[in-house]
Amino acid sequence: MSLYVYAITKASHPLRLDDLDGVGESHSELHVVRGDSLCAVVSEAPEDLSVARRDLEAHHAVQERLWSDGVSLPLGFGFVAQDEDAVRAVLEQGAEQYAQRLAELADRVEFNVKGVQDEDTLLRQIVEESDRIRELNEATREGRGSPEQRLELGQLVAAEVQSRQDALAAQIVAALRPLVYAESLSPPSEQYFVNASFLVDRGKSEEFTDSCGELTEQLPEGVELRLQGPLPPYSFA
Amino acid sequence: MTVTPGGGAVPAPTQGSGNLYDVLELVLDRGLVIDAFVRVSLVGIELAKVDARVVVASVDTYLRFAEACNRLDLESGRKAPAQLPDVMERVTEGGAKGKSKGALSGAVEAFTDSLQKGRRDEIESGERPRRGKEERREREREPVERGAERRSSKEREEREEREE
Repeated sequence: MSLYVYAITKASHPLRLDDLDGVGESHSELHVVRGDSLCAVVSEAPEDLSVARRDLEAHHAVQERLWSDGVSLPLGFGFVAQDEDAVRAVLEQGAEQYAQRLAELADRVEFNVKGVQDEDTLLRQIVEESDRIRELNEATREGRGSPEQRLELGQLVAAEVQSRQDALAAQIVAALRPLVYAESLSPPSEQYFVNASFLVDRGKSEEFTDSCGELTEQLPEGVELRLQGPLPPYSFA
Repeated sequence: MTVTPGGGAVPAPTQGSGNLYDVLELVLDRGLVIDAFVRVSLVGIELAKVDARVVVASVDTYLRFAEACNRLDLESGRKAPAQLPDVMERVTEGGAKGKSKGALSGAVEAFTDSLQKGRRDEIESGERPRRGKEERREREREPVERGAERRSSKEREEREEREE
């Protein structure tokens, strides 16, 4: 029977799992595969696992419970082992490495900071502050102007967008860095100009949240910081 | 069940579809990877992650920016009064697009949307026809379809609409 694997914990973890559901339509029961010093939390692998809310939330709920009760290494979504022996083999082979990670994560939490910027506000700032861009924008409005002018306008604007957003991202990360134990930065995407996870000592959680709040106030108009956390250490497992 | 980030001394951030997506994105994208295990529905995971793809410098991007600048209403707070056709255009745009932020956020919203529909269906489980439709959609998204090239969620939504 193949097994869906959620997380790895120390053998001493309380593993309160009774009232939680596993992934899949059938909400299969969670159980524990025990190795020598480590455990894995698993459930019967469902036939109908899907990358949709039901299963993502079930996966996430297990991680939150484990993390609130102790230390755990959350697996990414969707890992399936052939059987219990395969799980035990992984626990054994990786015992030293996993124990080390678990020790490092103890008493720390993840915060994720995402920055979104209202595009129109940003573009308006850019157009207002650059003569050349304003000129090209006027020349190409309502279908006027040449394709070359249009392309030049786009290139200049894209470069401005990127440099402004890179600077903002750097400013945000630099402001939070003194409070964190580790950081994990994702490359900027069209959705988020900054997407950074931070591993923070539990004791500093409040200070970190406050700093994010203060930081938000210093940011230009149209910029929003979205803070998630404290979370299980998805980005640091 | 709601996704409330953490639980403890720190006040939870405001709830909303954006926040839900923000957390689930981490669930999908991060976490320990164990090579000895098989990762199922990987193609689906790739599809969902397309929403957060890295910005690419390309002619398309440039033209999109040029167009977005052309569309800006630069008159507000400036000397020249807006002319009637401009006002009309603005009103129409505001109504139709609301806070549209470009094609990609559209895709993210589509993904979040499908997650939200999932929850609504659980609540209104008496509503069979709706639920059936959702389940069919879910199946259609399974590997058979995903085996093909990576499609944006938006394209997929549009295609499904045509098929229905």
